[in-house]
Amino acid sequence: MSQQTQRVERELTMSRAMVEAIATEMRDDDEVFYMGEDVADYGGIFDSTEGLREEFGYDRVMDVPISETAYIGAAVGAAQLGMRPIAELMFVDFFGVAMDQIYNQLAKNTYMSGGNVSVPMVLTAAVGGTYNDAAQHSQTLYGTFAHVPGMKVVVPSTAYEAKGLMHNAIRDDDPVVYMFHKRLMGIGWLPAPDGPKTPVPETDYTIPFGSADVKREGDDVTVVTLGLHVHRALEAAENLADGGVSAEVVDLRSLVPLDTDTIVESVEKTGNLVVVDEDYRSFGVTGEVVASVADEALGALDSVERVAVPDVPIPYSRPLENEVVPDVDDIEAAVERTQ
Amino acid sequence: MSGDDDRVAVTLAEWPDDADSDEGVVVNWFVREGATVEASQSLCEVQIEKVSVDVLAPVDGTLVEVVRGEDDEFERGDTLAWMEEE
Repeated sequence: MSQQTQRVERELTMSRAMVEAIATEMRDDDEVFYMGEDVADYGGIFDSTEGLREEFGYDRVMDVPISETAYIGAAVGAAQLGMRPIAELMFVDFFGVAMDQIYNQLAKNTYMSGGNVSVPMVLTAAVGGTYNDAAQHSQTLYGTFAHVPGMKVVVPSTAYEAKGLMHNAIRDDDPVVYMFHKRLMGIGWLPAPDGPKTPVPETDYTIPFGSADVKREGDDVTVVTLGLHVHRALEAAENLADGGVSAEVVDLRSLVPLDTDTIVESVEKTGNLVVVDEDYRSFGVTGEVVASVADEALGALDSVERVAVPDVPIPYSRPLENEVVPDVDDIEAAVERTQ
Repeated sequence: MSGDDDRVAVTLAEWPDDADSDEGVVVNWFVREGATVEASQSLCEVQIEKVSVDVLAPVDGTLVEVVRGEDDEFERGDTLAWMEEE
C-alpha cells in the first residue's frame, strides 16, 4: 500500500470503495452504466451499488429480469458499440446460465472480429463462502474465469485495492471480470474480518493489473493468496512469527494477468511456497501458481504446499463448511510442513 | 467526562420511521479517534433492524472519543461518540 501518499482521515469498507470508484467514473463518462439483479432500488444485495440509483437514476443503474444470458449479452453488445457497461452477476455461481455470453462472446469477440471491435465492459460478481449459503452460492470459481483467454480477472482484498482496481477495470478497453468477496464487503449481517476496511484516498487512482502486492515481508516461506484468504494468511503469519517462522504474504490482486515476477522473486528469497485458495484444489489457482514458479525457478523451490477447497461441493452445514474452506490453522499447518 | 463545553455528542439524528425497535448496532466506523472531520461527513454506519443508516458529523472538528465501537449495541438517543468543535 506504498502508493498512498496523501493524508487520509477516513476509512472505507470495501463496498463503499467500490461504489466510490464506479460513481466517479459515471460522473466523468456518460457511457458508463450498471446493470444487474437488484442493483437499483436494493443497492446490490452485497452493497455493490449502494446509492448509485439515487444519484444516476434508472437509465444508468438498471434492474434487469432474471436472465443472465440476456443482460450480459446486452452488455457485450453495448460495449462493442462504444459504451462502458458494468454488468453484475449477483452470485458468481450463476455464471453457468450465461456461459456462452461470457466464454464465447465477451471473451472472444475482439479476437473473432479481427480486432474490429473491442469489449470494454466489466463483469462484477460476488464470490465466496463462509456464511452457510450452500454449494450453489458459496463458490469463488477463480480458476474457471482465469482459465479462458480474453478476460482479465481481478480480485480485491481491501477497500484500497477495491477502488484502484475498479477504476482500472472501467477504463480498460478489454473485458474485466471483477470478483468481490462477500465476506470482505463490510455488510452488517456478514461482518468482515479486520483488514479489508482501509484508508482510501478521496481522489481517483488506479492499481495496474498484474501487480501483486507483498502485504507482509518475510524470509522463510512465501504464502501466495488472494481475496478473503489474504487476511487469513496475514493472521497465520502473525501467529507463525510468535514461533519464529517468518512468512511473506503475497496478495495476487489479479489472476489475469498473473504477476509471476513478484512470486518468483519472493520464492527465490524464501525457498518455500504455500499457495492458498478458496477455489477447488484441482485445475485451479494453486496448481497454476506452483507450475508458473516451477517453470521459472524450479531450482529455487525447496518445498511446496497447496491449501484449497478439497474437490467437493461446499457444504451448507456450518461445521462441514468450516472444515473444507481453508482457515488460519490450515495455513499455519501448511507453512510448518515446509519448515 | 469533565463536561467540556466544546464537546459535541454524536448521535443518530433521525431514527428510521419504519423501525419498530429502539435498539441498533454499530456496524462500521469510518474514522478513528483523533481524525479531523467535516460536518455531515459520514462517521459510522449503524444497523437498525435490517436497515443501514449513516451517522453524520454534527460539526467540523475532531473525533475525540468513540463511545460505541463496532458490534456494540445502542439505544435511540445514545451518544455514539464525542467530537470537539473546530
